[in-house]
Amino acid sequence: MSRLFPPLILFILVVLQGANFLLIPDILPANGFTVVIHGVFVFLVLIGLYYDQETTYHGFLYAIISGLMMDIVYANIIGVYMFSYAVTLYLVHYLRKILHVNFYVSSFVFFLAISLMDFLIFELYRFIGVISLTTVEYFEQRLLMTLAVNYVVFLIQFVLFKRLLTRYSLQRFEQK
Amino acid sequence: MSFFRRKRLFTILLSLVILVGLIGFTIRDREELSSVEEFIQDTVGSFQNVFLRPVYYVVGVVNSIDEMKNVYEENRVLKENLSTYQQKLYEIQELTKENEEFRALLDKTETITDYRPIQATVIARSPEDWFEQITLNRGKQHGVEKDMAVITANGMIGKIQSTAQFSSTVLLLNGFDRSNRISVNVDLPETDNDARGFILGYDAERQQLLLEFTDSYEDIPLEATVFSSGLGGVFPKGLEIGSIEEVTTDQYGLTQIAYVKPSADVENLNHVIIVDRTLTTRDEIVEGESE
Repeated sequence: MSRLFPPLILFILVVLQGANFLLIPDILPANGFTVVIHGVFVFLVLIGLYYDQETTYHGFLYAIISGLMMDIVYANIIGVYMFSYAVTLYLVHYLRKILHVNFYVSSFVFFLAISLMDFLIFELYRFIGVISLTTVEYFEQRLLMTLAVNYVVFLIQFVLFKRLLTRYSLQRFEQK
Repeated sequence: MSFFRRKRLFTILLSLVILVGLIGFTIRDREELSSVEEFIQDTVGSFQNVFLRPVYYVVGVVNSIDEMKNVYEENRVLKENLSTYQQKLYEIQELTKENEEFRALLDKTETITDYRPIQATVIARSPEDWFEQITLNRGKQHGVEKDMAVITANGMIGKIQSTAQFSSTVLLLNGFDRSNRISVNVDLPETDNDARGFILGYDAERQQLLLEFTDSYEDIPLEATVFSSGLGGVFPKGLEIGSIEEVTTDQYGLTQIAYVKPSADVENLNHVIIVDRTLTTRDEIVEGESE
């Protein structure tokens, strides 16, 4: 179970990502905000913070795999999610090494990671030519609300998975 | 240590090359998905089919409770409408029969209006707002092909962008750009002829489709219905697309354009119909001959 748990939950989250638009409150799109719930990414950050040891790169590996799946299933342009997820999870792993992880620190890391990831996705899509928003528009319409909504998702997942992740991490790495 | 640094630089460069390669490979207009993509899409799709059914069911129940408030009022209006429809139905039956007889006389059985409907259910929607696409639970095995039109009872909502074996992706109308033109007709009440034009794309600010007319027409009424003309080769004739909201000229004043409000609600989709045009297109005939 300690091995299976992260990929299993990740797969379920990738599947559920297709129904996430139902969870976004109607008020936000009506006022011109676009919000994306990054359920998969939030869990990846939690893996990076609470499951990974200093020398293991599971979060990074899972980021590449689930990013690839997100690309294939939901975007049809492969590489954008994969790259952004991988880069941010690498950063999370680095931050974890130099910071002492507790709730406030992980909230801080989460905000940093999700802003960077969303901004990377935006820049890459803009570079490719899929979207034609200016950076200011992007900040106003998307980033702030996305951060707010995703922090709620983060809190929920934190409560649900934090203990399990730490326990499985101990089971898997400490016994050796 | 210096070796590690060099190795890290090497990895970063390699991953950038792979990234650019992958994006470049997937961004061009492809006819088919690769088998790996098909496999992953189908796996996730089948799980979505199972997992998301109950979710949609609950949402549906909540919505219908909401709607119950207006049921009485609606029922009264509908009953009134029903009696007029009976009359219309009879007329249409007569006309269809007559039409069939005439066709039989002319020996012309297939038209560009005919299509075979494939019922499908929406199983997922892209979380990224920039890709206006949804996933359906029907794929190649059910006869779905790229570029088929997708409609609801209210009108057209998009076209098939890519297909896997058991699922397919739909590009919604509000994701259309210049490479997805639709040839359309606009009903003109005064004359016998229809106004012809193309749907060029979607205006995100106005949330309306952009229609360019091939000719200049004197009086195009507002609220006139826009139909697909069937001349583009992919969609059958007579699919409702929307109604005209405003007629103006383009920025150079040379061509006449109009803004079209889509008649189907693309935000709220559940059950859709994939339209398989029965009349073979010219491309398919050529392909068949060369085989």
